Amino acid sequence: MASIDIVNVHKSYGSAHVLKGIDIQVDDGDFLVLVGPSGCGKSTLLNMIAGLEEISDGDIRIGDESMKDKRPSERDIAMVFQSYALYPNMTVAKNISFGLEMRNFSKAEIKERTESVSKMLQIEQLLARKPGQLSGGQRQRVAMGRALVREPKVFLFDEPLSNLDAKLRVDMRTEIKKLHQRLGATIVYVTHDQIEAMTLATKIAIMKAGELQQLGTPDQLYNQPSNLFVAGFMGSPSMNILPATIAEQGGKLFAKLSQKNTDDLLLPLPEQTGYRSYINKGVLLGIRPEAITDPESADKDSEHLYIADCIVNVTEPTGADLFAITELGGREVIARMRANTPLKSGETGPFAFNMNKAVLFDPSSEARID
Amino acid sequence: MSIASNNNPSVSSQRFWRVLIYTTLIVMAVFYLLPLFIMLLTSVKTLDEIRDGNLLTLPVQWTLEPWKKAWGTACVGLTCEGINGYFWNSIKMVVPSVAISTILGAINGYILTKWRFPGHRWVFALMLFGCFIPFQIVLLPMSQVLGFLGIAGSTAGLVLVHVTYGIGFSTLFFRNYYEAFPTELVNAAKIDGAGFFRIFWRILLPSSAPIIVVTVIWQFTNIWNDFLFGASFAAGEHAPMTVALNNLVNSTTGVKEYNVDMAAAIIAAAPTLLVYIVAGRYFVRGLMAGSVKG
Repeated sequence: MASIDIVNVHKSYGSAHVLKGIDIQVDDGDFLVLVGPSGCGKSTLLNMIAGLEEISDGDIRIGDESMKDKRPSERDIAMVFQSYALYPNMTVAKNISFGLEMRNFSKAEIKERTESVSKMLQIEQLLARKPGQLSGGQRQRVAMGRALVREPKVFLFDEPLSNLDAKLRVDMRTEIKKLHQRLGATIVYVTHDQIEAMTLATKIAIMKAGELQQLGTPDQLYNQPSNLFVAGFMGSPSMNILPATIAEQGGKLFAKLSQKNTDDLLLPLPEQTGYRSYINKGVLLGIRPEAITDPESADKDSEHLYIADCIVNVTEPTGADLFAITELGGREVIARMRANTPLKSGETGPFAFNMNKAVLFDPSSEARID
Repeated sequence: MSIASNNNPSVSSQRFWRVLIYTTLIVMAVFYLLPLFIMLLTSVKTLDEIRDGNLLTLPVQWTLEPWKKAWGTACVGLTCEGINGYFWNSIKMVVPSVAISTILGAINGYILTKWRFPGHRWVFALMLFGCFIPFQIVLLPMSQVLGFLGIAGSTAGLVLVHVTYGIGFSTLFFRNYYEAFPTELVNAAKIDGAGFFRIFWRILLPSSAPIIVVTVIWQFTNIWNDFLFGASFAAGEHAPMTVALNNLVNSTTGVKEYNVDMAAAIIAAAPTLLVYIVAGRYFVRGLMAGSVKG
């Protein structure tokens, strides 16, 4: 178990600058998820923690020890790869024990550890098989077994679930989470799936084009995204982003949104110091679909609840919910209603806006306004 | 009824094409096997029968004397001890050459794909270039190098020449094979604590059977069949089989013993045939194993 400090890390391949100064701190026992679109540098960063890629500049410290000149084998880490990377010529048991064998563990200890790990992952009956004879989920377990058996300081996961089918992925996700809770291990996990990030992480680092966009708890990233990119990346369906102007009436602040065929909509804003300097200026209002509901299921404790009638363009029932789509500020807005809300497309219905959950962004810098 | 009458023409035309294809194939096969057949036939006839009969008549009196003579007592140049010594010369030359060039090619391929260094492309390009240098060009410089090393005219010298020439091809084979070998496996082994050679021995080599067989077949046939290097760098008693065969057949003293020549030629060709028959099967097996691997 150990903490990880990523200090101002850079990576370049020739003239291509892939990572541009990343700073991340991971505490002992944290589950850090690196998330972002493909090409954002998250896998590169993971490989640098593993020692598979060199650090161009900056430093990575595991448990207060610099990893700069250490080989992967000297870092006391274990990694689970996207393709599982099981050795095709070895049995499952050999695959799991290979790392111990390389570290000159005694035969008895290797046997004992392999057995206990395979019991924990329920793959005891597979030990004599070759990887080619296993299903995707079983290979995944073996790959995790190979990492667990070493009892390293840090576990690294590189998109471990992306090759599994949807149902299995959800099951394995839960298992990884359970495993983390049981072992209390420090984990760094790379994914492009924001749901995986939300469900697993104690800390999320969201990256784009080699730069860290935001580092925080899942709740912070979801509710206080630091910029438009984070707001749009986390959550599905994604956050509604609407052009608005800030208006002041009777000392209170409102977000003014244009509406088709009717008067402008004035949504009350919670008091934030930063908002005042944007009075009568354009901003981008971000509001998540679940913050726009039917009046019955609205959060009654919210101090800034506003109910407005809007024209429903389309309704999309998902079974659990009903997504109602309307138009505000010239953009489509998705609202998340109870499944049996009596709304019909083309008609007007009441929409409850929970403005406590709304965030504002500067349209030019795209940063959140506080 | 109507279905049957509809089907009949297509069935008969299918059969027609079948027959045509197989007839063509059989004729071609016979045509290609004819030289070997004539060689075999001639090698078990007596000289008298060869003079009297035509090429394709079966021997009246079967004899293995030509084979014995070719192996043990035929005159090659000035010595009359048969070709067996030269046969072993060839074996002594081929086995180490094939083994060394295959191992070096495998290690080169491993480095050029999994332990890349700046300029690895250039190194590979130059090695490829080496494959296409005609033999004749290197004869003189090579003989100087061999002389400098003091192994001119010996089997060791020939091994060096063939290894040098073989590395280009074996590197090409292994590099392309390992290029498709998942790098994640190498990374996993690095994290597991395996070093350069352990990764090679434990992870890559066990999965390399198909390409090893391909390389061995290629190198074995090339080196065994080589005449130019053998004639240039290993004269006299160190000459390989191919050179000895030439000397045997071209000996101008006495009668031309076609049956002995043919027997010697078959002996000279046997090892490469054997390698194809034996290793070819493993080659297919290796490919199959690769295809089932997930």
